[in-house]
Amino acid sequence: MNCRECLEELATGSLRELTAESAVSRHAANCPDCGPLLTQLRDREYQAATVLNNLPPMSDPIVMADSAGRLARRRRMGGVVVTLMSIALGITIWFAADTMISDFGHSQFGDNLRTETISLSCLTPEQAGEVISPYVRSHGSSYYVGPPGVPAITVRATPTELSQVRTLLNDFDKGRHASCHTDMATTFRQLDRQLQELQKLQPVLAGMKPNPAKPKPQTSKPANPDDK
Amino acid sequence: MEKAAPFRDRATYALDVQLASLASAGDDAAFTSLVTRFQPAVFRWSLTFASDPDEAEDITQEVFVRVHRQIGNYRSDGLLEAWLYRITRRTASQLRRKRGRRGRLALSPAARPDREVYTTDPGGRVDRQRAADIIRELFAELPRRQREIFDLVDLQGLSPGEVAERTGMRPVSVRANLFKARKAIRDGLLATHPAYGELST
Repeated sequence: MNCRECLEELATGSLRELTAESAVSRHAANCPDCGPLLTQLRDREYQAATVLNNLPPMSDPIVMADSAGRLARRRRMGGVVVTLMSIALGITIWFAADTMISDFGHSQFGDNLRTETISLSCLTPEQAGEVISPYVRSHGSSYYVGPPGVPAITVRATPTELSQVRTLLNDFDKGRHASCHTDMATTFRQLDRQLQELQKLQPVLAGMKPNPAKPKPQTSKPANPDDK
Repeated sequence: MEKAAPFRDRATYALDVQLASLASAGDDAAFTSLVTRFQPAVFRWSLTFASDPDEAEDITQEVFVRVHRQIGNYRSDGLLEAWLYRITRRTASQLRRKRGRRGRLALSPAARPDREVYTTDPGGRVDRQRAADIIRELFAELPRRQREIFDLVDLQGLSPGEVAERTGMRPVSVRANLFKARKAIRDGLLATHPAYGELST
C-alpha cells in the first residue's frame, strides 16, 4: 500500500474497525507521514466520543420529570382553552353574520324555501301578487302568476313568509271583507245607514232647528228585502 | 468508548413497556422513573443536534414534555428507545427551525441561561466547554443528516444497519452520508499530508 491508497482509505473508512493487521495500519506503522496522521485522526475522534458520551446531563431527572409534567398539563389545558375559544368565536361570528347580514346562510340552505300554490277566489293573481310582494323578500323567495284565466298564485318562500302570505290572502281573498264576497243586502244596509245620517243633518244644513219631539217621517223605505 | 446500551433483553423491554403503560395512565412516579432511565440517552442524542450542551438540555426538557403528552401513543410492539429517539429528532429539528438561526446559542453568550453548574462545578464547566468546542469543530459545517449519522456510527458506535433502522433511512443512504461526513471532517487533517495533492487530483 502506498501513501495515496492509505489516504484514500483514511478519508472515508472507519477508524474504529481498523485492526493492527490491516494494510492501512501496517503502512502507517512504517510511513513517517501517514503514521502521525492516523494517530491524530484516531485521537481526535476518540476524544470527541469520550467527551460527548460521558458528558452527564445537568438537570436533575426528578426535577425535569416534575417540570415536564407541569408543562405538559399546562399545554394540555391551553389546548382545551384554545379549542373552546375557537368554538365560541366561531359561534359568535355565525350569530353576528346571521344578525347583520340579511339572509346570511339561507343561500346555503336552499331547501329551507318551500313552494306552494294558493288558489284565488276573489283577487286576480296580479292583485294577489301586489298584496303579498312586500312580505316575500328573503333571498330566493318569489311568486309566480300563472297563465291568464287560472285563478291561482304560486309562492316560493320560507315557511314564515308562506304563513304570512296565507294569512294575507285569507283576509283579502277569502275573508268576509273580501270585496267580491260582499252581498247585495249588506250593501243596501250600508246605504240606508248613510242615508239616515244624512237626514239627521238636513235641518242643520237648511238653517232650521230640528224638532226632536216630532221627527220627520222617513221619506224612503229600506230597500232591504229582509225588512219586508 | 462506551456503547449506548441497547435495551434488547426481554426483561428490560418488559420494564419499559410497563413504565410507559403506567405513565400513560397518569402515574407520576412511573413517569419520573422513565425520565431517570432515559434522560442520559436523550441528552446524548440531543448533543448531536444541538450547538452546545445548554441547547441539548433545552431539547431534552422539551422531549420529556412531549413524551408526557404523547406517551399514550407509544405502541409496545417497538422499542421505547427507538420511539424516544424519533421524538428527540423531531423536537430538535422543530426547535432549531423555531430559533431560526443556526448556532444562535453558541454564538451569542448573552443568550445563554445562567446555569447553576457553571458556578458550583468548575470541572463540569470545563467538560461542557470541551463538548461545545468539539461540537463546533466537528459538526459546525456538516448538514444535519451527515452530522447525525457520523455521530451515531463513529462516536456512539452503532452499526450502519442499526442507524438505518433507527432513522428510517435506507442503508445505502446511511453509508453515503457517512462517507461524506467522514471526508468533510477529516479533510482538514488529511490536507497536511504531503501526498494529499495527488489524492485530490
